[in-house]
Amino acid sequence: MRFPIVQAIYKKEMLDLLRDRRTLISMMIVPLVVFPVLFRVATALTSRIEEQSETEARTLGIAARVTTPSLRAALEKTGYPLFEREDLPASVEKKSVAAAVEEIPGNPPRIRIYVDNSNPTSSAAGDKIRTAIDELRVERIRQSLQNSGVPENVLTPFTVTRTNVAGARKMAGSAWGNILGYVVLLLMFTGGMYPIIDMTAGEKERKTLEAFLASPATRREIVIGKTFAAMTAIFLTAMLTLGSMVYSLKNARLGGKSQEFKQMMDTIPLDAGTIAMIAALLIPVAIFAAALMFTIALFARSFKEGQSYLTPLVFVVIIPALMGGLPGFELTPALCLIPIFNASMMIHSVLVGDASMVNFGVTLAANLVYAGIAALIATRMFEKESVLFRT
Amino acid sequence: MIQVLEISKTFHDSKRGTHAAVDRVSFEVQAGEVFGLLGPNGAGKTTTLRLLATLLKPTSGTAVLNGCDVNTAPAQVRGQIGFLSGDMRLYARLTPLEILNFFGELNGMEPQWRAKRINQLMTLLGMHDFAGVRTDKLSTGMKQKTAIARTMLHDPPILILDEPSSGLDVPTARTIESAIMDAKKSGKCIIYSTHVMEEAEYLCDRIGVIDNGRLKTTGTMQQLREATGKHRLREIFLDLLGLPQDK
Ligand SMILES: Nc1ncnc2c1ncn2[C@@H]1O[C@H](COP(=O)(O)OP(=O)(O)O)[C@@H](O)[C@H]1O
Ligand SMILES: [Mg+2]
Repeated sequence: MRFPIVQAIYKKEMLDLLRDRRTLISMMIVPLVVFPVLFRVATALTSRIEEQSETEARTLGIAARVTTPSLRAALEKTGYPLFEREDLPASVEKKSVAAAVEEIPGNPPRIRIYVDNSNPTSSAAGDKIRTAIDELRVERIRQSLQNSGVPENVLTPFTVTRTNVAGARKMAGSAWGNILGYVVLLLMFTGGMYPIIDMTAGEKERKTLEAFLASPATRREIVIGKTFAAMTAIFLTAMLTLGSMVYSLKNARLGGKSQEFKQMMDTIPLDAGTIAMIAALLIPVAIFAAALMFTIALFARSFKEGQSYLTPLVFVVIIPALMGGLPGFELTPALCLIPIFNASMMIHSVLVGDASMVNFGVTLAANLVYAGIAALIATRMFEKESVLFRT
Repeated sequence: MIQVLEISKTFHDSKRGTHAAVDRVSFEVQAGEVFGLLGPNGAGKTTTLRLLATLLKPTSGTAVLNGCDVNTAPAQVRGQIGFLSGDMRLYARLTPLEILNFFGELNGMEPQWRAKRINQLMTLLGMHDFAGVRTDKLSTGMKQKTAIARTMLHDPPILILDEPSSGLDVPTARTIESAIMDAKKSGKCIIYSTHVMEEAEYLCDRIGVIDNGRLKTTGTMQQLREATGKHRLREIFLDLLGLPQDK
């Protein structure tokens, strides 16, 4: 293998792909524009739904069948209008009111709240009622104690605090780290698709391959030069996606939760170490993806045919990429041998900050081996004249 | 300069099964000579030339080009040849200058020699005006000049041309014909395939007629005339293929 030849091929492929509109769209526009816009729309939609259920509950009001004046007063304090209804559960179900409360006389009286949990409006109203009643109950107990001369501190024989040992960074990781690996890996495949089809089936279809093959470059030099260019495109797509996602998530406006969420997001360190670890993780994946797609696209005679060969592959990749983001998987060295899945899980672990060096090493080594095997197969296929001159 | 020895190529096809596209073909071409491979469509011209350019591996037999064997030293063979085919295209998103630089690098040309040679060819072919324009914006004639420059760039001793003027209008085809004549004068060994009789008659020193993968005969126009008793190449060709003569 002669390095200057490989370099010349790499240079030509990069020049060619950076001038291709289709490639640029899939490589840059999708991660930099489409993704952030989609994310904006999604978060805006979520907070609008929250706001809407609040206003809707306020307009619909509550059906109340209560006799005790203090209870009625507590309900009125919620600001929701109170109505009379015959059939309380039915009125909630038919959405004529957001929720309903019923006081059943007795000793002690029982209070029943009706909500329709499938409806966020009703849930929100139910929560409001519950809070109001709880406050009233505590107030009443306090008063009774005061009247009978019992000190108030009998109410709190002990205090309980629940501490989340996960820490903010881990919480942030589990909140969004799950989708991050999945999206990055998916976009690596979609981002690599166009340049790879272009440099294989595209060269065949446009009849430029023959002159290339008749040059003194060896088949292996051509495969290496081309795969490296494809790998660069894939890796660039991955880094752009990662950067764009982190930026969108950090700057997301998530309605009422935004403060809490923002604090959480700020705990994700985007220092050189984390970025270097993710980059190191993604390089063998990029080579693997490039060589794999290269091999498949080589069989196609035209760009269209290439697309129909590679699109199913993207769907195959979705499954392990998505699985890697699911909670409840304990990453073991054995699981680190599963391609795509291992990278998806490791991205998550690195961001959350609980990546073990053993798992990281196994993932890196396994993916390097897969990349090597895929590259070897790509070279073998490129040496087959039945593949290159398919009629 | 080119020795072809009993070269054969068999394809395995799901429709036709195993069939010989080139069947034990032998011939020689000297330096300074234009050898024309003449035959109808599907005769095996392209396959023969692809075997010589090492794009395909022979099923049996071999060929030696300027001392390099296609079976044992394919990469070296490719360093000896300039290969041009009528249905080859140029990289649409690159400029002629970029394409020439790329092929120069593939041929291991030193940067200085490369720049000098590119400049020389561009002057010769009148390419300077469009050297920096993407080839998808160029006319057929400009593209053809670029293709010729690419073929001649590394000054190869052997040119392999597969129906280079097919589908071109007369002025553009002339550019190729004069490039072939110039190359011949400078002592290059040229093998050239066509199914256009007039072109072959005009350009070739010797002609080989191929049909169904078999080389029927080789010789100069004079030798072919004597062998067949016919005068024009068209008549000779029909005679060799066993087809009825024109009325
Ligand atoms: N890659 C291939 N696979 C199968 N058959 C082929 C292939 N290339 C050429 N052939 C067959 O070989 C024969 C010779 O083709 P070719 O060399 O292209 O002829 P020509 O160039 O003289 O028109 C034809 O019958 C053609 O169909
Ligand atoms: Mg042909």
